[in-house]
Amino acid sequence: MSVHFITANRLLQLLHLLRQRGELHAPLRGADDVVRFAPLAAGILPDLDALRTLLPPKKYLLPPRETILTYRDDTNYQEPQVTTIPLILFGLHPCDLAGIGYLDRIFLGEDPDPVYASRRAALTLIGTSCSPDQFCSCHLQPSSLSASHDLFLQKTDDGFAVSSGSPGGDELLGTLAELIEERELAADDTRRYFGNQRKLPPQSELDPSLPDWQELAEHCLGCGACSICCPTCYCFDVLEFGGLDGRSAERLRHWDNCLFKSHAQVAGGASFQKDRAQRFRYRYRHKYRGFGQLKGIPSCVGCGRCREVCPAGLDLRPLAERLERGAS
Amino acid sequence: MNASHPTAATITGVRSLSADTTLFTLTCNDRAAAGKVASFLPGQFLELSLPGIGEIPVSYCGLPSAEGMIELCIRHVGHVTSPLHRAAPGEAVGVRGPFGHGFPLDSYENQDLLLIAGGLGMAPLRSLLLALLKQRRRWGELTLLYGAREMGALLFLDELRQLALRGDITVQLAVDHRTHCLEGPPNCRVALLPALLDQLTIRAERTCAALCGPPVVYPYLVTGLKRIGLSDERIHLSLERHMKCGLGRCGHCAVGTLLCCCDGPVFSHARLRGVEGALA
Repeated sequence: MSVHFITANRLLQLLHLLRQRGELHAPLRGADDVVRFAPLAAGILPDLDALRTLLPPKKYLLPPRETILTYRDDTNYQEPQVTTIPLILFGLHPCDLAGIGYLDRIFLGEDPDPVYASRRAALTLIGTSCSPDQFCSCHLQPSSLSASHDLFLQKTDDGFAVSSGSPGGDELLGTLAELIEERELAADDTRRYFGNQRKLPPQSELDPSLPDWQELAEHCLGCGACSICCPTCYCFDVLEFGGLDGRSAERLRHWDNCLFKSHAQVAGGASFQKDRAQRFRYRYRHKYRGFGQLKGIPSCVGCGRCREVCPAGLDLRPLAERLERGAS
Repeated sequence: MNASHPTAATITGVRSLSADTTLFTLTCNDRAAAGKVASFLPGQFLELSLPGIGEIPVSYCGLPSAEGMIELCIRHVGHVTSPLHRAAPGEAVGVRGPFGHGFPLDSYENQDLLLIAGGLGMAPLRSLLLALLKQRRRWGELTLLYGAREMGALLFLDELRQLALRGDITVQLAVDHRTHCLEGPPNCRVALLPALLDQLTIRAERTCAALCGPPVVYPYLVTGLKRIGLSDERIHLSLERHMKCGLGRCGHCAVGTLLCCCDGPVFSHARLRGVEGALA
């Protein structure tokens, strides 16, 4: 199989060329030993061996807190001017690409979200391949998520086989011609995992009397870390703050968390998810069965972050494997 | 203008209905936007913004209007609805909608209709009732059962008295407990709402029920309706959740894997059967 190929010793040159097109961000290990997507300075190599960043790249599309509307009494509600500079994310693993693909379905479907759309349009996505560790489940689970990318770099022993996944990627590939050589690769050397591309058949409702729920709920600390680090958790709360002048206001959306008691509360203090086991089932349904129009489409991309960060070592996967077995 | 962007409206009418509940009339400032946000099906909802305070989902309470007039019945209990208590005509608000699915009017053709409202549930059912009365000849017999805590909490009593004079609709009222200082309207019993079902004579095979009330009452009403012969498909109910975006994105209104904002808020009971947490 003939492929476009960039040898490993040209990686810095590649990053230099990418930097001409916008701000370049990639996984970097900080002094605190945390791997995060961060701006990549010239001459620095990204940490392509780290399997997962603490926060997924959703932070670029859905910042933890952002203004979605501004109000002035003379102009009424207006969308904020989001200044987006071209941003190139380098070193995204297939699970994170699939996560962005899922967020696109939520926010760019019918009635696209204008703030999300402008942030998304400024992104160039460059994926790299990886090999799953004990926390990953991308290679195990049925998923109908497809990864969206502009370029994908598949690691081999001495470099990267490069492929394009979008018209933007084709164009970008053209500008990298000086770095690219043609090479023959064994066709089965894929080393990339996107999960199986399947939609689940309708399932019966979850059985609240399963002892697993109570067991999970008893051990869960309710910290919500699993949701914060999930590439496809997008639940948000909407807040509005009036200006001190009494004539202006700002409407914000910020990350919400289905494991928090406040998530399903309504005026007067009543809640539809009173106990933690209920909230666990809520999370399970969202991750493995999908809500509304995306019903039947699991949103877990198998990145393993929730399993790695949970302070109580909780893991929904074994339960999912048991409950969804009939469907896979 | 996208669906998350409120259009400007002005409060043009304020009518107190009870100690804690007000009927507001809003008028859209922009006629073009009015055509969209004031055209709805009974049971659908809109998102009402009070600038500087926040946004809440509210059911439409009146009839669709080409002039952009919107009636909303609001109980002052939350962080947005409480400041609304002081709102006066002329105050600026924002509206966007309509959202969700309303009551299935087309499937009601030639059917007897049983409307059951509990407390503030009268708000969306008033919208349905007005729509039904506007085309009275399309439907069979009309019955309204309406219950509230006490006499003073019964909403729209003046309108209900007028209705009773029409002769083409049966209205039965109930209060949980009697208050000595208020004279009860005709047809008002001291009883819980589900108890009214027992004295009904209905033709179950051609009756559809439309319900809106506090979550606690639904299991009893559904059980009562099934006891008098209604099938799950003929029972429609409106669920209360906090729909924060209305667009199926914020994740706050899921009922099982259904989203109240997009799949509901009006569901047939057949669709909710076995769904955890759908009925209290």
